[in-house]
Order: sequence, then structure tokens, then C-alpha cells
Amino acid sequence: MTRNRKMPLLALIAGASLCAAPSLFAAERPSSPVAAYTAMSPEELADYLIFEMEGFDLDAPTQEGGTARDRLEQDRTQKVCSAIARSGAALDRPTAAKISALAEESIQLPEGGIALGDWKKGEQIARSGYGYRMGHRMDDHSGEPPGGNCYACHQLDPNETAHGTVGPSLAGYGRLRGTSDAMLKHTYQIIYNAHLFFPCTTMPRFGHNGTLTQEQIRDVMAYLLDPESPVNQETEQTAQAD
Amino acid sequence: MRIKNAARAAGIAAFLSMASHAAQVQPPEDVLGELIERNSSDYLTQSEQNIMMMPDNPALWTADEGKDLFYEERGPNNKSLETCDLGKGPGVVEGVYVELPRYFEDTGRVMDLESRLVYCMTSIQGFSPEDPEVKTRHGSSSDMMKLQTFIASRSSGLPWNPPMDHPLEKAMRDAGEVMFYRRAGTSDFSCATCHTNTSKRIRASVLPNINEPHEWTKAISWPAFRVGQQNVRSSTHRIRGCYWQMRQPQIIPGSDAAIALMSYWTDAARGQPAILPDKKR
Ligand code: HEC
Ligand code: HEC
Repeated sequence: MTRNRKMPLLALIAGASLCAAPSLFAAERPSSPVAAYTAMSPEELADYLIFEMEGFDLDAPTQEGGTARDRLEQDRTQKVCSAIARSGAALDRPTAAKISALAEESIQLPEGGIALGDWKKGEQIARSGYGYRMGHRMDDHSGEPPGGNCYACHQLDPNETAHGTVGPSLAGYGRLRGTSDAMLKHTYQIIYNAHLFFPCTTMPRFGHNGTLTQEQIRDVMAYLLDPESPVNQETEQTAQAD
Repeated sequence: MRIKNAARAAGIAAFLSMASHAAQVQPPEDVLGELIERNSSDYLTQSEQNIMMMPDNPALWTADEGKDLFYEERGPNNKSLETCDLGKGPGVVEGVYVELPRYFEDTGRVMDLESRLVYCMTSIQGFSPEDPEVKTRHGSSSDMMKLQTFIASRSSGLPWNPPMDHPLEKAMRDAGEVMFYRRAGTSDFSCATCHTNTSKRIRASVLPNINEPHEWTKAISWPAFRVGQQNVRSSTHRIRGCYWQMRQPQIIPGSDAAIALMSYWTDAARGQPAILPDKKR
């Protein structure tokens, strides 16, 4: 307590510049005033508050090597899908086709074809929510690789109860659909950029955004498709449910 | 079955007549109890244990401590907060929280409870923004959490009713709505990704739906004691956690962006009674 009273003058000046001057605040900065904000559309004002009014810690570094500002910039897919969700309207066909075409363009198939990786590694990736979180506690990718966080939204291993339900259940995915080349390609495309088949889906674009490497995608695919994977074991539970 | 429906209808009628007269501050456990009776919601009922333990909420102590702080003469100016205008006149605490954020003539800004408290503690009591009384925002033992919990608890049971009379209040609410739906970052998330469905889960947590005001009132009833963290937490702390989960950068507390988001989320619970202080997982 007393420590903070050591520099009353400084405290006073700091206090004064911030608080005793609200009228000055309002008069000198074209920021807060009613006129400036109310002249903008909601979209413009939101961007203005984020990027021009220091709404976020914009210069903070990110794991991918840019800044927070880059992280907050929206690409076309993000922008269009945000506006549609906010409007509450159903996605119209031409827009859906555009989003899907953007996804198609973004997808890079692995050279030499798609092969399944290691389902055990894939399981770790599916379970891990580590990676790309920033701010008060920044994930350090040199200590632990980023995961795919599939369990946040999906059921996979039918024996795992702590799974989300934002996405459909993927229990028995490979058992039910098989492992044809077409199925491998289909699954790869979904993980890379699911907007190809589900325009404006909430599922993250793991390949397009570069949050999973091609090797990690192959491992997660093995977790989904390999007959040995726990995802494809029949349990009493699912046998009954079927 | 019919008896139960009749009882429910009577309960609703009683509630409505109460709301139309001057609504009264109610214990949070009663507010939650009535809410659960009137609505079926997996979100509201997800933790039976938390519901049972509501009367023993440690946040009630935090509110008591906040009351002492509010009326204590403190800071370089040795003043209490009795001249602080939280929206309904100097020193009025009853019912102010459910009508924030709101526009304040003296600053020309729309402000939430936290930014208004910072304003009062610095301008009235003379604290510097760097003093721990102002700067420390998190944890049950911080002055900021004690004061917020006290003030908020004096709105328990009252319907959320943030004013939309001033053009700036409306503009901020609308910008907040854009922010809520704004997808960005390495996971393409927006708040809407997780909070526009009913009864959906992320891992084992049932998510509240912003389009269901009876769920959303509990979602935004902060301060709340978080059992998993053994601390009373604020709206600001919740927003920080959700941006972190979204893999997006940190929003600055007290910035117009943060206040816009809160204007929207409070508006979304309009008319439903606040549960303050709440208890969450
Ligand atoms: C934020 C939630 C979310 C996360 C995280 C997520 N998904 Fe999805 N996923 C969805 C949704 C929602 C769908 C359904 C598509 C739609 O209609 O939008 C989906 C669909 C799928 C499908 C297609 C299912 C079908 O019936 O064809 C697969 C396969 C899939 N996800 C795999 C994954 C994998 C693997 C991961 C982790 C690397 C993952 N998902 C992470 C939300 C998510
Ligand atoms: C990836 C999913 C996800 C996103 C995106 C997300 N949240 Fe949440 N949110 C959660 C989860 C999970 C909880 C439950 C808290 C817990 O149990 O840890 C939660 C809790 C909340 C709560 C309090 C409800 C409670 O019972 O604890 C509010 C309010 C909230 N979020 C608002 C937001 C806002 C505003 C945003 C955008 C800035 C947002 N959320 C983005 C997952 C998300």
C-alpha cells in the first residue's frame, strides 16, 4: 500500500491525463464522439473499433510469424460466412458455389497420392486442443505441436464420453464408409477445407489455414479410417444403437 | 401433468405481475430456480451440484466485502464511491448493473461496469490507473472483483434492460453484434460458432445459445464463482477466455470494442432476470 503512495505527483499526473479530461477526450479525439461512430455502418464501426481504436493488442506476435493484426484480418470466406450467419438467412446457391470454389482452389493434394499415416499419432492430434492460443497464455509450439481438437466438436472413439456435439459423430467412420481411393480423397479434402462440401461450415480449415501439416492430416485420416483404430471398433453401445 | 402446467402458469403469472410492478432484488438461487421451472434447458441444468450449492456461493462473501469497500473513504482523495454515478444517479447501486453498458454524458462514452468503476476510482478517489486497487482486475481478493460483485448483486432478479435511447448505445450494440459473428484467425472461429445452437457441447460443457434469452441470462450473469478456478470471475475474464479459445488475439478491457461486445450480449438477454452473483463450472 505505502509503496504505491511513493510518487503522489506522478500518480496525480497519470490520473489527471486519463480521467480529469473526459471532455478533452471527447473533443480532441475524433474517436469516441457520437457523430463519428453513428455515421458508420455496424460493419465499419466493428472494424474501426478493432483496428483503429486499439480494441485488441494488435502488435502481439503470433505463432505463425505474423502479428495479432494479421490474425484478425478476414479472408473472403470468413467475411462472407460471417455476414450470412449474422443475417440468419440460409446460404443462397450462388454464394455457396463461390465459397465451395474458393475451397477447391485452396486444396493442395499431396504429391504421390494420399496414403494413411499412423492412427496412434492421429489419435493424439484429434485429442489435443493445444496450439495457436495467444494473449495471456501463449501456446509454445516448440514445446508441444499444435493439435486438431477434433474431440471439441466430434465423437470419434465410441468409448470416449467427453466429446463435443457441434459436429456430427464420426464413430465408425471408416467401418461404415470403407477406404477406397475416393473415400481417402474425400476425407482429405474435408480436413483440408471442409467448405468444399459444406460451404460456410463451422469446421476449421486445417489444411488451408496451415494448422495441420500434410503428415498430421494423414495421421488423423488413419485415426478415422484405419480398421485397427478405436474409432472403428464396434462397441456394445454402438451395436445396440445401430 | 395438468396440475403441473397449472402451477407453472400460476408461476408465470406471478412472475409477470411482479415484473410489471417495481421488480425486486431476489436471491440468485431463487431466480435460477424459477428460470429452470419455466424453461427446459440442458445448459441451465447441466450442473446439479452447482445449483444445490448456490446458497453457499463464496461470491456472496465477495459481495459483502465489496459493500464495505464501496462506502469506505479511500484513495489519495479519501472519498467513498457514494458520489459515483453508475447510471441512476450518484451512489445508486440498486438495479444499475442490468442497465449497463450505457451512455454517460460526462465522458461522452458508452461504458460497462468495469470501465465506469475505473473512471470513478480515478476521478473521485484519486487512484492512479497503475495503483493495484484499479489495475488488479482478476481474482476474488481484488478490489475490482469485490466492488463489481457487490454492485451486480444489487440487480439480482431484475430483468436485463440496457438502454438503447442514445444513438451511441445503439451503434455500439450493432457493432458488438458484428463482432460476435465475426470469423477470423487460424481456426475460423467466431463467438457464434459455439453459441448459436441449443444443447450442443464443446467437449463435456453444454454451451449457452445467445438466441435463447433464458439461457443467455445465465451465460452473462457475471460476476460468478467459478468452481474450477476457485475464484470469482468477471465478464471481462470470460471474454478473455473465449478469445483465447478462439485462437484470436486479446481484446483490451475497457476498449470500445470490448464494450460493444458486452452491449450486444446484454441486449440479447433483455427481459430475462439476472442471476447475481452466479456460480459456474
Ligand atoms: C468447431 C467444430 C469442429 C471441429 C474442431 C472439427 N470439426 Fe469436423 N465438422 C464440424 C461440422 C459442424 C461438420 C459438419 C459439416 C457441416 O454441415 O457444416 C463437420 C464435418 C466433418 C466431417 C464430415 C462428416 C461427414 O458426415 O461427411 C469429417 C470427416 C470431419 N468433420 C472431421 C474432422 C476432424 C478430423 C477434425 C479434427 C482435425 C474436425 N473434424 C474438427 C465441426 C468441427
Ligand atoms: C470454440 C468454442 C467457443 C467459442 C468460439 C466461444 N466460446 Fe464462449 N464458451 C465456450 C465454452 C466451452 C464455454 C463454457 C465454459 C466452460 O465450461 O469452460 C463458454 C462460455 C461462455 C460464456 C459463459 C457461459 C458459462 O456458463 O460459462 C459466455 C458469456 C461466452 N462463452 C461468450 C462467448 C463470446 C462473447 C465469444 C466470442 C468472443 C465466445 N464465447 C466464443 C466455448 C466457446
